[in-house]
Amino acid sequence: MGYDQDLSFVYFGPTKIIFGSGSSTSEVESEMSALKCSRAIVVTDQGIIKAGLLDKITKSLGEKCVGVFSDVPQDSGMDVVDRAAAFAKEKGADIVISIGGGSVIDTAKCMCILLTEGGSLADFEGIQLLTRPQTPHIVIPTTAGTGSEVTWAAVIYDKSKGQKILIVESYNAPRVAILDPTLTAKLPPLLTASTGMDAFCHAVEAISSMQREPIADALGMHAIRLLNKYLPQCVKNGSDLTARGQVQLAATMAGWSFGNAMIGIVHAMAHSIGAVAHVPHGIANGILLPHCMEFNLPDAANYYAEIAQAMGVCEKGSTTKQAAEAAVKGVFDLTKKIGHPQKLSEFGVTEENIIKAADMSMSDGSIVNNPRYVADSGEVLEIYKKAL
Amino acid sequence: MTGYKGFTQEWMDAWKEKIAGSKEYKEIAKDWEGSVSITVNADPSKNVPEPVYMFTDYWHGDVRDFFICDAAKAQEAKFIMTGDYARWKQVAKKELDATKALMQGKLKLRGDLTYIVRNVKTINKVIDLLTEVNTIFPDEG
Repeated sequence: MGYDQDLSFVYFGPTKIIFGSGSSTSEVESEMSALKCSRAIVVTDQGIIKAGLLDKITKSLGEKCVGVFSDVPQDSGMDVVDRAAAFAKEKGADIVISIGGGSVIDTAKCMCILLTEGGSLADFEGIQLLTRPQTPHIVIPTTAGTGSEVTWAAVIYDKSKGQKILIVESYNAPRVAILDPTLTAKLPPLLTASTGMDAFCHAVEAISSMQREPIADALGMHAIRLLNKYLPQCVKNGSDLTARGQVQLAATMAGWSFGNAMIGIVHAMAHSIGAVAHVPHGIANGILLPHCMEFNLPDAANYYAEIAQAMGVCEKGSTTKQAAEAAVKGVFDLTKKIGHPQKLSEFGVTEENIIKAADMSMSDGSIVNNPRYVADSGEVLEIYKKAL
Repeated sequence: MTGYKGFTQEWMDAWKEKIAGSKEYKEIAKDWEGSVSITVNADPSKNVPEPVYMFTDYWHGDVRDFFICDAAKAQEAKFIMTGDYARWKQVAKKELDATKALMQGKLKLRGDLTYIVRNVKTINKVIDLLTEVNTIFPDEG
């Protein structure tokens, strides 16, 4: 991968991983005890309850579950965190267990801060302000893509500002993530494909990031191997628990990878088109990734050549450039194979939208870690046009 | 080249001059609004016996206030950055990337992180210009 003598980094990934079918019920209580906690507040959403995923887990906790907070909406807000934390305090909780996707997990992360530090979440807007470990948090993810179970950032909507705020605290990384493939078995094919491509994108962008480093590279590269092999199987047969499990592990590895090495232009563009035209994050990433890889080829060929090898699309005797191009084609082919949408216009995106989003992308922080310098919004617009 | 004692008013003046004279900064920072305070934690072993508080203010490519202040004034800033002397020295010498330092917990930032993320190029440019100031650090002078 080519690192120079100036290589200097901190790798951080303190979350313990428990993996296995049925682990969400068989392991949660003992993990809670290992953390010396006895009063759990469970955080989830109505979708998880309707899908029947909650009951078995709360039953396995028995009397150690002192309450369930299930009013977490799609884009959770500070008011939700405040209410949930007040509820947890009232119940005397000493641990938070989140069961759900990104919004539920991030709500729980923020609750842990309020349970430890008190006050309002607005007091903690920033980065690395905490000085001690927070209330323990066990995550049981029900999707496979965000990697939030092992990252130390939380995104929460602030109604008063009309925008999402970011809270980044290494003291608030979840203590344990329990990956139970049975919990993702009922995800529909499109959601499986788009969340899987979100994870794939995390891995590709981390490997080619300006902040790439060997540990994040290793995790990202294996995430790519697993996603390339098992994501199509998950889409084809959702109840294939072997495939589901490997995709879950890949999403977690990709979470560690990008949590340490950061992301690039794909996320800058996905964030922007999401804000302008409400294209779901995973889908925007999946559509934009191969087009952005094409753009990055002049400066990222070495990394993409390695990705081609991981995907098994690198022909013997290929030059670095040929291998890198094979990786781009490989990603296009993968998205088609899993029935992932190919064009932003399928989600109502217009020419006007992409002009605005191109401009917005230039001021998204992710773009600074992109392997190829992005000179102006015109370059971003050209990529959007190809993906439109 | 004149050297300036780090974390003093004269050093801040030299830094401000660099920023104000940069056309590139003016362009990059055209959308930036607001103040940033910098707190350097005391480190008596490095000749920094007391914390140093600095208040800096920027507005659409222009530089406004730039002065040594007290703890109360530092708390008034839109963004409050805090770190140990050794870390700030590394940043000022371009041995440590400020965004990396924040992510790794080597520096702390209070304020709207999404705003910082959207304007990270402005932050990087201000720090790049700082590295152009010939600094005599407290533990080196």
